[in-house]
Amino acid sequence: MKMLTKDPLNLIIVGVGGQGNVMISSLIGRAFITEGYFVTIGETYGASQRGGSVMSHVRISKESQYSPLIPNGRADIILGMEPVETLRILQQFGNPDVITITNSKLVHAIGIEYPDLDDVVEAIKKLSAKLWLINATDEALKLGSAIFANTILIGALIGSGILPLDKESLDPILRESFPEEKLEANMLAFNKGMELVSRG
Amino acid sequence: MDMKVKGSKELLTEVIDAGLCTLCGACAGGCPYLVSYKGRAVLLDDCTLSEGQCYRYCPRTYTDMDAVSQQVFGMPYSGDELGAVKEIFLARSVDKEIHERGQDGGTVTALLSVALAEGIIEGVIETKMDDDKIPQGFVARSREELLECSGVSYEPSPVLEALNHLPRESTEKLGIVGLPCHVAAVAKMKTYPPQNRVNIDNVKLVVGLLCGWSLANGFHQFLQQNFDLPRVTKFDIPHHPGHTFDVYTKSDKESVELDEIRQYINNACSYCLDMTAEFADISIGSGRAKFKGWNTVIVRTDAGAELIKLAKAKHVLETQPTPVESVTNLKRAALNKKKRALNNIIAKTGDKNDLLYVGLREDILDNLLA
Amino acid sequence: MAGIDIDAPGTTELFIGNEAIARGALEAGIGFAAAYPGTPSTEIMESLASVAKKMNFYAEWSVNEKVAFETAAGASFAGIRAITAMKQNGVNVISDFLANLVVSGIGAGLVLVSCDDPSAISSSNEQDTRNIAKWLDIPLLEPGTFQEAKDMTKWAFDLAEELDTICMIRSVTRIAHARGNVTLGELPRKEHKAHFDEIASFTPTLTKFAPVLSAWKHQQLHAKLDKAQEIFEPSPFNWYRGPDKAELLIITCGSCWLYSLEAVNALKLESKVGILKLGTIWPLPQKLIEKHLSKSQKILVVEEIDPFLEGSIKELVADLPPASPHPTFYGKRSGHINAFGELNPDMVIEAIARIMDITYESRPAEYSKKAEEVPLTYMPPRLMTFCSGCPHRATFWAIKNALRLDGRDGFVTGDIGCYSMALGPAGFCQVRTMYCMGAGAGIASGLGKLGQFGFKQPVLAVCGDSTFFHATIPALINGIYNQSNFTLIILDNNATAMTGFQPHPGTGMTAMEEPTKVVSMDTLCASLGVPVEVCDPFDLKNTTETLLKAMSKDGIKVVIMRRECELVRARREKKPLYKVHVDPDKCLGEACGCDRLCTRVFGCLGLEWDKEAGKAKIDETVCAGCGVCADICPQGAIIKEAV
Repeated sequence: MKMLTKDPLNLIIVGVGGQGNVMISSLIGRAFITEGYFVTIGETYGASQRGGSVMSHVRISKESQYSPLIPNGRADIILGMEPVETLRILQQFGNPDVITITNSKLVHAIGIEYPDLDDVVEAIKKLSAKLWLINATDEALKLGSAIFANTILIGALIGSGILPLDKESLDPILRESFPEEKLEANMLAFNKGMELVSRG
Repeated sequence: MDMKVKGSKELLTEVIDAGLCTLCGACAGGCPYLVSYKGRAVLLDDCTLSEGQCYRYCPRTYTDMDAVSQQVFGMPYSGDELGAVKEIFLARSVDKEIHERGQDGGTVTALLSVALAEGIIEGVIETKMDDDKIPQGFVARSREELLECSGVSYEPSPVLEALNHLPRESTEKLGIVGLPCHVAAVAKMKTYPPQNRVNIDNVKLVVGLLCGWSLANGFHQFLQQNFDLPRVTKFDIPHHPGHTFDVYTKSDKESVELDEIRQYINNACSYCLDMTAEFADISIGSGRAKFKGWNTVIVRTDAGAELIKLAKAKHVLETQPTPVESVTNLKRAALNKKKRALNNIIAKTGDKNDLLYVGLREDILDNLLA
Repeated sequence: MAGIDIDAPGTTELFIGNEAIARGALEAGIGFAAAYPGTPSTEIMESLASVAKKMNFYAEWSVNEKVAFETAAGASFAGIRAITAMKQNGVNVISDFLANLVVSGIGAGLVLVSCDDPSAISSSNEQDTRNIAKWLDIPLLEPGTFQEAKDMTKWAFDLAEELDTICMIRSVTRIAHARGNVTLGELPRKEHKAHFDEIASFTPTLTKFAPVLSAWKHQQLHAKLDKAQEIFEPSPFNWYRGPDKAELLIITCGSCWLYSLEAVNALKLESKVGILKLGTIWPLPQKLIEKHLSKSQKILVVEEIDPFLEGSIKELVADLPPASPHPTFYGKRSGHINAFGELNPDMVIEAIARIMDITYESRPAEYSKKAEEVPLTYMPPRLMTFCSGCPHRATFWAIKNALRLDGRDGFVTGDIGCYSMALGPAGFCQVRTMYCMGAGAGIASGLGKLGQFGFKQPVLAVCGDSTFFHATIPALINGIYNQSNFTLIILDNNATAMTGFQPHPGTGMTAMEEPTKVVSMDTLCASLGVPVEVCDPFDLKNTTETLLKAMSKDGIKVVIMRRECELVRARREKKPLYKVHVDPDKCLGEACGCDRLCTRVFGCLGLEWDKEAGKAKIDETVCAGCGVCADICPQGAIIKEAV
């Protein structure tokens, strides 16, 4: 069985309220629980869901329960559902070894001038040891709904090989997480995510 | 001085909050921010644009009288008491229904119905009172609709909001009936044609109404408290010897002492120099006591003269000359309004060189201030 | 996904703290659960209600926390174990009943869970409800892990019965809403039997369940607390980790336990710094604390919000014999730990480093420099706003326009709910006061009586549908009785939306998903003899006119804004209301003169400014299709089409 590259392994999932952060974090968390790990997840809940910045701190350990908040500068992996939010998290929690996977679709905020994607991506690159930039939203729309971007990103996270989880360990979790009628599309989305990172 | 176009914020500080707003409606309805509501221009949200048509067409922002006169009459502003005049005479409608429902001689309604009937215009931007007698801009497209607009509201009317509401792609030929402030705003629109609004060249006829002041400052609440407004059919301030404000219902007439009404005079009107709607094609007022049931008519442009000719030819209007004495009185009244307004402006600014919106040549100013 | 009722003792699940607490209640064999939703407590009741039928117990969403607590007490009085859970503000609401209940004692085990929200992440205020335990003599536990959240809750029922008093559990956001490992225990299968008289007699003639002979019973309560302290001294929820003699002793509880542990590890001070983690918070396990105080001359107390432990431990130290060592205390009073806001590992690291005079680098300075060089314009702040398609945005648009048109400086007194966001640009900054449930109408009722002092401004009190039932009704009746002047606007979106769409008396559905009688706010208000208007907020014109009309009249007026929460509608109907798009030929962009009304002012997330085209456009991944923006565009460039 694959091992954690670090203990605890600190993963931050970041996005905009309503995108589905909690879905991703709990799905990943449950996969690790099944494999016998200690998992702690700290999330932004409640009012902050409504279009605000949201993040989930996921901490995985073979040794013990960790706090639901990752110390500054100590993220190992950042999974971003929105590039500006990815950058915001990198700035606070990044370090020279951090690996970043991010959706490239900007989610606009009210009443502000939004930055250019190229600038944001350039800054993300500078702060990441490795970056996978994925157009998950467009791929999701091809599958019928932007919501599949979440499963695509999960697929990308697993496909990147940075977690000691593989498709087989995720499979039962995916199956119990999605309703029957959504399962097939989510499985396709998961595979799409894996495929997108395998290309580089 | 050049006209510096600013935005809604400055319109608010320089005109509305400064007590200069006549509620003509030129600023209202052309954007989602400014609307008129029950006698006020209301800013619904903060607009951050540094230049706006609201500011540009306001008759109380800087107005270069020469430029406007050049546009309307093809010559610089004369400074004469009554403005550019081709003819002055007395007129009244031959049509009995118009005569009865209109104010004084019904000349305005008569002329506009001819213009509509003959296709000179297809719609008239007019003031129409709602059931509660709140005046509003309205587009009358038939004689019937025109008659619904006849009769005077002494409250300020945001007539031009109706113009601003027209779809910009409209090609409808328009007439406009308004007070001097409305007419001045339309003249500014003609001088600096608006973008993204209905083409100002569609306006083929501007009929101005002679005006001393309008009634605001809680006047509507006064009316509400004292009259059953939905039943009111007409307001009137008859000329000498009467000193009353008359309110008619179908069966009745009630009179209020004019002195009781004076407290409601819109303060903004005290800064207005124009009694005779000088930038109109035709300006129309009352025949006064001496010629009760007649209107005084000032024809200013070729378009105005053509219409009079047509109305006479169609026998909808009868006319008679205005006695010299009446013209003299009219001129004196108009001049007095100019002088009074200038003095009020100077008293307000405390500076002879700061005349707010008034863009007059120095020679004219010198004459008025002499 | 496994629910909290999974019958698999010994297996480990990933539960949020609230689910762990609910599971603990199940393992304790509760028969009754009642609550009013409030972040971060909501999921306790939500997860209980979802299994109540199956597990043969009763669960309800009550109209407010006080009623919830009273119903739970009723169950306890009849011999049924009962739980109630609420956010910190709820504890204020129940405090009157609570202060009297502690005098009498209870029937079967009765547990109150209070979830505090440090930093007020989803709250109007931050407040440390541990203080109420000390104030009212209530045994208090605070879990430091998810496992403890479950285990403590289960034990709290036994404790309550042993002590014959209500027991309280304090949780905080980072326990309540964090997830972690929970190893499950047995689920009891027992038949609940409720009967009042059996246990209600205090003497043959006098009931137990009333605060009579209160001074004497107060003394009895102190004895119960003394007994609690004895029980707490050897409790497995308190432990020490560290060297026998420490350079620094950290005393901590709750979520701060994991922060402290992480901080000590991060600084590699395991051999120098010890941690005393307390789970039994009130009364303090005095002897245990005294024993550990001798471990170090330096004590750092790490806790969230108030210096509760810090102050209480200092009281103990003051009572120690003069010869005992008197250590130096660090914490909130010394300024090493904030006495406000949420803590995190970094804050604890910083406090320890300062006391121990060592330096800590979270990451290489070179990287930090690079990170700080990223222009802030690349990371614009993201303001919270209403969801796309939210009826509240339309309502506040109409309110804004109506108030401006009215022109008498009218304003809105707000209340607690999603619509509190109307304090900010989401609702065009229309809400001018916002305090607690029901306060909007109460404040309005006072303002509306100021006419004799020259007050002429129209007052609009807004409250949500759930808030209306919770606390607005008395204020409304007060206004009517005392002939005040205001317009009550009920934002009826048919759900307690802010906390996740829980049903309430107006929805016709119970917590256990059984249909029930709809309590009609329309009929209720009308029965009070005040005019009631119902608007669809998506009809901006009619809504604005209705508000203007209401404001023009004296007295109390009720306007109900009726439009279902968009998230609930979308979840059910699974399609947008309209297909909305911007006609690029009609949108004039910057040339329009509208000054980007739709994206700049209206500010729905479904609208975005296409920089390249210089025009507005719809973000289809976000737009909910309410079509309201079509009515605000001056050019009619936003097109809505039936789906």
